Amino acid sequence: MTLRPILHGSLALALMLASTGALADHSELNPNVTEVKPGDTVTISRLPEDIYLRVQNDPDDLIWDRLPMYRTELFAAPPVHRSVQLRFDDGASHGKHLYFQVARSSERFYIRLHWKDASENRATTVDDFRDGVAVQYALGDADTSYMMGSGPDAPVNIWYWRADHEQRIENLAAGGYGSTTRLPEQNVSGASDYIQEAIPQDSEWHVVMSRPLAAGGEHQVTFDRDRVPMAFALWEGSDSERDGDKRVTHTWILLDTAAGDAAGGDTES
Amino acid sequence: MAVKRQLSMVLDLNKCIGCQTCTAACKLMWTNRNGREFMYWNNVETQPGLGYPRDYQNMGGGFDADGALRLGRQPSQEDYGIPWEYNYEEALMTGTDPWLRPHVKPTWGANWDEDQGEGDYPNSYYFYLPRLCNHCANPGCLAACTRNAIYKRQEDGIVLVDQERCRGYRYCVNACPYKKVYFNEQISKSEKCIFCYPRIEKGLATACARQCVGRIRWIGYRDDEEGPIHQLVEKHKVALPLHAEWGTQPNVFYVPPLSPSKYAADGRELDEPRIPLAYLESLFGPRVGEVLDTLQAERQAKAEGRESELMDLLIGYNHAEMFKLS
Repeated sequence: MTLRPILHGSLALALMLASTGALADHSELNPNVTEVKPGDTVTISRLPEDIYLRVQNDPDDLIWDRLPMYRTELFAAPPVHRSVQLRFDDGASHGKHLYFQVARSSERFYIRLHWKDASENRATTVDDFRDGVAVQYALGDADTSYMMGSGPDAPVNIWYWRADHEQRIENLAAGGYGSTTRLPEQNVSGASDYIQEAIPQDSEWHVVMSRPLAAGGEHQVTFDRDRVPMAFALWEGSDSERDGDKRVTHTWILLDTAAGDAAGGDTES
Repeated sequence: MAVKRQLSMVLDLNKCIGCQTCTAACKLMWTNRNGREFMYWNNVETQPGLGYPRDYQNMGGGFDADGALRLGRQPSQEDYGIPWEYNYEEALMTGTDPWLRPHVKPTWGANWDEDQGEGDYPNSYYFYLPRLCNHCANPGCLAACTRNAIYKRQEDGIVLVDQERCRGYRYCVNACPYKKVYFNEQISKSEKCIFCYPRIEKGLATACARQCVGRIRWIGYRDDEEGPIHQLVEKHKVALPLHAEWGTQPNVFYVPPLSPSKYAADGRELDEPRIPLAYLESLFGPRVGEVLDTLQAERQAKAEGRESELMDLLIGYNHAEMFKLS
C-alpha cells in the first residue's frame, strides 16, 4: 500500500479537526460528561469489593450512573484500501460522539459505551450491514499506529461487538491493515441494549464489554501497566459501513490504570 | 496476475440448448444447502435479457480504463431471487393442503425472463448464455478484498475465497462485474465457483462441463498448445471473453452464436443475421463478425464434405479430447 491514501487521510483528518467546533453537537452538552480528545488520559474507576453486580454485563446497570463518563468524537478512518476509498463519501466528514466509561473490579475490566443511532441494524444479510463498535488497545506503547497497529511486531488487541450477535464479543488481534485475526481465546463477554426513543435520532445503543483482568493468552491487552493506549471504532450499518469504512478515534486515548487502584472504592464522586 | 498455469473453459453458444443441466449439476454438487440456496455458481441466462442477478450488466464493478477498481452496485436478495420451496409433504403426501404452492410468492429468480429475448416475429431472437466465475487473470474480487482473503492458485489459476480469512465485508461481491461472488448469510462469508477443484485435482472435468448434454464446454490449460483452449482461443481465434472491457481478463471464453437471417416485411430473407451483430459485439467485443465469418466458412466446408479441423473440434467427438486436464 502506498503512502498516498494515508496522506490523503491525514489531510482529511486535519480538515476535520479544524472544523470540530463547528460540527460539535451542542444539544449533547452535559456537565457530567468529560470531553476527551485523542492524546488525553482518562482514569479507570475502581468498583469497590462490596458492590455486587447482579449480571456480569448489564449495559444499564445502576453502577454506570455513578461512574465518570467520557465523551470523545470519532471521525472517518483514513482509507488505506481502494475498496474503502471508493466509499469515502461526503457523509464521512461528520464526526460522531461516543460516550464511554471504564471500570475494574479486583477481577474484571469493564468498558461501557453508548452512542446515538437512529436505526437498529442487527442483521448481516445480503441486503444489510450490522452496527458495530470496537475498542482497540495497543499492546505496546502509544508509538503503535492507531490504525490497526504497526505490523506484526507492534500489534493491537481489539474487542469487537457486533449487533447481529449481541452476546458475542469478538476478541481479535491485528498487526497492520488487513491482518485482523480472531484469537483462539474468546474470553471477552458483553451485552447490549438498543434504547428506542420517540425521536429516532435520540435512540441509543448501550454496550458493555468485560474481560478478566488477567490476559488469557498471547496478543491480549494487559492492564498491569500505568497507561494503556485505547481507541474506538464505530460502524453504522445503515450506511453499509464495515471494515475500514468506519469512524474512529484518531490517535490514542490513554487509560490510567494506576489511578483506579489509588481511588479504591470512591464511586461517589 | 501471473500464475504458473491457467485452467480455462470455452463454451460454444451455438450448441447450448438452455437445458440447465449444468446449473442443476452445479447446484446439486455445491449450492443446494447451507445458506447457498439462492446462489447459482453456474447459471444459464437468456440473452438479450436481464440475467442473473437481475441487471448485473449494469451494476458496475471491474476496472476503469486506468486499471483502477470501480465501485459497483450491490445486488439485492430480490435481484438474485428469493428461493422458494413447495409444500410437497402437505399437498401430495398428507393431503392437509389442497394446493401445491411455493412458500413465498415468487416475484423474480434466476432465468425468470427465459426465452423472452428481443424482436418481433418473425425476427424475434435470443440465445442462451451459460455463466460461471471467469477465474480472471486480473480478478476484481481479489483486488477489492481488503484482507487478501481471495487468492489465485499458482498451479491452475483457480480463484478461491479463503474461508478462514474472509470476514464478510462483501467488497468482492460489489467489485466482480459478473456478480459471481455471493454472500452466504448463514456463515457471514463470501463464496463463489471453485471450478470444481476437488474434481480437477482428480483429473475430472467440472460438474457443469461433464454433465453438459450439448457438449458445449471444453476445459484445458491455456499453455497446452495441443489442448482445446489454445486451439479455439489462440489458433482458430473463435472464442471470445464476455465483456472484456470490464478489465478483469476472463479465462472463460465463448464461441458466439450464428443466427438465421432476418426477414423483410414481405417475407424476403435478408442478408443480415437475426441476432444483431452490434448486440453480440456489445457482449463479446469487436471481433465477433470475424469469428462468425470463420464459423460460417468452416461449417460450409464440413457441409460440402471437406475437412474442417475447427468443426471437428467444435463437434466434440469425445470427452477425452474436450477435457485436457494434465
